[in-house]
Amino acid sequence: MQLSDNNIASRNLSALVDFSSNINSNLNLDFALNNLLLTCFGKLQTTKGIIALFDNNTLKPKLNKGFDGTQVNKLEELSKENFEAELNLFAKKNKIGITEKIISSDQLLGFILLGEKLSKTEYNAEDKQFLSTIVKIGSTTIKNIQNFEKLNDINKQLDSKINQLNSLFDLGKEFSSILEIDRVSKLLIYSISAQMLVSKYAIIIFNENHFDILESKFDKQNLTDLLNNCDCKTILSPKIISKESNDFIELYELGVKVIVPMVIKGKTKGSILLGKRITNSSYSQSDLEYLSSVANLAIISIENSRLFKQAVEKQIIEKDLEIARSIQKNLLPRKLPTSEKYEISAINRTAKMVGGDFYDVVQLTKTKTLIAIADVSGKGIQASLLMANLQAFLKSIYKQNYKLEEASNFLNDLVSENTTNGSFITFFWGVYDSESNEFSYVNMGHNPPLLVNEKGITKLKKGGMILGVMKTIIPYAGETVKLQKDDLILLFTDGITEAMNKDNDEYSDERLEKLVTENYKSDSKIILENILDDVTKHTAGSVQSDDITCLVLKIK
Amino acid sequence: MADFDVNKHGVGAVSVLNVKGFLDAHTAPELENAFNTLLNEKQYKVVVNFKDLQYISSAGLGVFMAYVETMRENNGDIKFSNLKDDVYNIFDLLGFPLLYEFYKDQTEAIEKYNQAK
Repeated sequence: MQLSDNNIASRNLSALVDFSSNINSNLNLDFALNNLLLTCFGKLQTTKGIIALFDNNTLKPKLNKGFDGTQVNKLEELSKENFEAELNLFAKKNKIGITEKIISSDQLLGFILLGEKLSKTEYNAEDKQFLSTIVKIGSTTIKNIQNFEKLNDINKQLDSKINQLNSLFDLGKEFSSILEIDRVSKLLIYSISAQMLVSKYAIIIFNENHFDILESKFDKQNLTDLLNNCDCKTILSPKIISKESNDFIELYELGVKVIVPMVIKGKTKGSILLGKRITNSSYSQSDLEYLSSVANLAIISIENSRLFKQAVEKQIIEKDLEIARSIQKNLLPRKLPTSEKYEISAINRTAKMVGGDFYDVVQLTKTKTLIAIADVSGKGIQASLLMANLQAFLKSIYKQNYKLEEASNFLNDLVSENTTNGSFITFFWGVYDSESNEFSYVNMGHNPPLLVNEKGITKLKKGGMILGVMKTIIPYAGETVKLQKDDLILLFTDGITEAMNKDNDEYSDERLEKLVTENYKSDSKIILENILDDVTKHTAGSVQSDDITCLVLKIK
Repeated sequence: MADFDVNKHGVGAVSVLNVKGFLDAHTAPELENAFNTLLNEKQYKVVVNFKDLQYISSAGLGVFMAYVETMRENNGDIKFSNLKDDVYNIFDLLGFPLLYEFYKDQTEAIEKYNQAK
């Protein structure tokens, strides 16, 4: 008897040693549980067993040998309030022979439940003792493995966070050096599609009154229609949309699962729309944080690219205008002729956009002086080039000894042959003869110059068609007027009479006429100054929209 | 910093891209170019050999996402081979093994295409 007791003890011991060395040999939970259950089977002669462990306060069967699976799954449904009783009931129903708690450092990890012994006998004290010992050894291992798995999970989360941070760092570095919007949106898509495992996406940029779809894997036409009717601009933080959400339900139906706004200084300048992930998993808080960071990084870069493009375009225009301004300046006479019998003064002030004002004064003979004024259609370089043409034609015509009317016919033919796209010129020219004191002129569609004297104002209207519209069919017919001491002829462009104030009121012909009537006896320079002052007073606070040109012939 | 390089050679009907160095947002365009060339040449069966790749960022991974659909629509694929452990870990972390086939060696990947024929 003594011997057989020793034998049993030694057999038990060797089973325990064997078990404990095996169960700790790796950190796999399934392996450990299997080992635990099989050791029980062997030692206690039973063929059925369950190991169930708590997971978030719910008992979950982890290993089942021999019992009906659907029955075993009912372990999960045991109520917490009446746990012990329900577990007993479960044991009775399923013919469980013995139940043992798995406890590690006072924490209940779960239960091991064994079926009846093959011998149909009850589990005896020795069996219970063995089971209790082996479960104690096993419980430590289970706890270790659970801790290890928890650690693994945390590690994985950390890895994923580090990876997201790396991705942000990588993009931040790259974005800061890119100035092409397409490139930015492409990189953005690469990072997001890999990081989130998503193949349906769209990037939208909001401008003042419209939006641009930079990328889209959703149906573009549908998306455009939907965006016209929904206000993604109001979203300031990432928003998950679902069947239950009231707004953006149409976007949801298109396949959009999350809207990530791209925000600068509290303003939503764009949106990233993402569809469902290939893994079918939902977007976690951490994912949304990542997406939000990436989106805000990208929009800064996109905004910079846009501003850069704008600045470059502006520079090109500025350069264009600079050239136009210098061309025009070089076309105007550098010096005006002086005489004891008359004086001529002129001013030309170009607007920011550079219009097409032109004037010329040429001493033809000792007594004859030609004055001309023109307003070329269009602005900028285009106007400057036409003006340069006009000046070249004039230079060659001055040398021929044509009469003014003939010269006008000829000039119109030349200009209309050389203009395209409906360009035209309003033009006025006249010749003053200081000997006869006569002024002959032809007006080709220009604002009528004003002849001012004590009798009042005469408008010099005679002439014909606007210059350059078509070849001369009806010859130009001008007029000759007699001048006297103190008479004044004022040539001007519509930049003066149409100069706008802040309320968009024009300076007007009437105001100009009134001013020169009151001032015509002054020196030509003073008259010009007065006109300019008055126009400046009128337009105070608004931008000069057209060139201003004014020329005065004053008889002494 | 080590730069990035990609070169291509054909093994039968399969194109092998050898990637080398650092594949990140900065160098991703070079890989894009390589894929665009493949598309122009109508080469849809691709194996990417990572033997000499030191580092990959998610922008780099995104390039594979961008092209895989086109390859598959044309009876091709993008398969990966010879990944160093740390490079594979990044693929694994983001869930790529669900979508792509990974092989220890380039010949296994090529073999897979040939079997499918």
